[in-house]
Amino acid sequence: MRKKKILVVDDDVPLADSMKLVLEDTGNFDVCVETDSVSALATARNFQPDVVLLDIVMPGLDGGDVSAQLKQDPFLSSVPIIIVTALVANSEAGRDDGIDSGGQMMIAKPVRFRKLLHAIETTLVASVH
Amino acid sequence: MKMVSITSQSEAVPEVAQEAVGRLRILCFEHSEGDFVLLREYLRSADFKASPELVRAETMSAAKDVLLGASENGTFDAVLLDLSLPDSSGAESLVALQELAPTTPIIILSDNADREVAVRMVKEGALEYLPKDSLNAELLTRSILYAVERQRSQTEMAELNIRLKKATEDLMTAQTQLIQAEKMDSLGRLAAGVAHEVKNPLGTLQMGVSYFERRTEKMGEGSEAMISHMQDAIARADRIICGMLDFSRSDNLSLEVKGINEVLDGAIEKMQHLIVRANLDLVKDLAAGSPKVRVDQSKMEQVLINLILNAVQAMSENATGEDGKHQTLEISSYLAEVDEINRDEGIRHSERIRARDSVVVAEVRDYGPGIPKEKLNRILEPFYTTKPAGEGTGLGLSVAKNIVDLHRGVMQVENVDFGKGVVARVMLKSLE
Repeated sequence: MRKKKILVVDDDVPLADSMKLVLEDTGNFDVCVETDSVSALATARNFQPDVVLLDIVMPGLDGGDVSAQLKQDPFLSSVPIIIVTALVANSEAGRDDGIDSGGQMMIAKPVRFRKLLHAIETTLVASVH
Repeated sequence: MKMVSITSQSEAVPEVAQEAVGRLRILCFEHSEGDFVLLREYLRSADFKASPELVRAETMSAAKDVLLGASENGTFDAVLLDLSLPDSSGAESLVALQELAPTTPIIILSDNADREVAVRMVKEGALEYLPKDSLNAELLTRSILYAVERQRSQTEMAELNIRLKKATEDLMTAQTQLIQAEKMDSLGRLAAGVAHEVKNPLGTLQMGVSYFERRTEKMGEGSEAMISHMQDAIARADRIICGMLDFSRSDNLSLEVKGINEVLDGAIEKMQHLIVRANLDLVKDLAAGSPKVRVDQSKMEQVLINLILNAVQAMSENATGEDGKHQTLEISSYLAEVDEINRDEGIRHSERIRARDSVVVAEVRDYGPGIPKEKLNRILEPFYTTKPAGEGTGLGLSVAKNIVDLHRGVMQVENVDFGKGVVARVMLKSLE
């Protein structure tokens, strides 16, 4: 089975790198890290991810801007986005499934690895159907 | 003989007063028949638009009946008080009159002999005194009208004063709210800033821990325990940050009309496993008909969960009482009437609960060791905790209080005698 491609967009370099390390450690994912949100769209076009893990608070373009850019791109508009943010408490991000009321998958930092995996898998399954 | 009065004799009789008050009613304390007739004649002959109605009382005891009956027959506009009554004199008469008719102006009529007394009376609240031996129609009329006018402006001033006080109070309330809002605003920004700065490194640590978790067998003995400690440490730090976020942003309530018992049951359901694990007997005593309140159910559940958690933790040290029986956790709801509320410096609002309001109470009572007195008045402060380091963030109750404040409710935490447990209450305005 082809490894699923995950694009991590987060300006915090150690966090983005450690997410890449631990996700790739499972052997199931191919992870690309982009720490500059302004380049995120270009990186996404090249990489063609199955899922995007997107931070909200970033200099230049914030997560909302990047999300809007991705949604407008004909080749990327159907790629699911998981918001990974430091701005919400766990209670607000939906403790169990990480889906917020607007239907947008959102998980709070620091995210437990199992929860992150669960969110990615749920999103991938949903995007297939 | 000269008259002591604030008014000058050359001033005209105030027309305004005459027109404003219409026909005057005057109560006259005069024991001497001759003096009374003279006073009546003065008033008749004077330049009044309508001749005043003069009611006579010869003694202080008679005056009481007249004054107490005054509300039925119309109040008096002024009192003429002769200082030498058979059953009362001087200061005594004045004090008695001031008690009976606190807003009626009193004019003292004095003989030459008691002039000093009369001056003292003026100092003690009589509007002025008139020496009988130099009294005439004009002087009497002028004095009465001035007294009435002065009383009217005093009453007006008192009313204005009350309005001023109320306005000042409203202003202070608004200021307190503003300061509170600003505090919350800056705390909110601080919390968001700290959350962002701290949660990212925590996220990195979390990923690192997960990474090493998959390799414990290669790392040897103790690594699993170490990883578990690190995991706990991350969770602990995160709880504090989340508490701060909750504390600073509990302002968006989505209020619905709910029965208090449903809210309580929601909280109990989420805490059931802890209650069972702590080996406690839960005794529920919920109000019949589940009284309705306007609440944000999930936020209020958060409050009650907090109170239940505190109660469980207070008892879990020694869940089995001295007599070997399980300890009891009591959760109840009931309707009550508020008798008195201690105002705090939190959010003040006109919609807040006041004395004699009907309230719905949700109550959690434990049989733990209680809270030491010196700590009791601090437990609602942010970051104040009575729990051992690491067990509480010190934010739970302050968040809870904040949420209750936003519901315009009141939260109380009290010792039940000292050492016999704690009762925590949330009071919300009843919609019944």
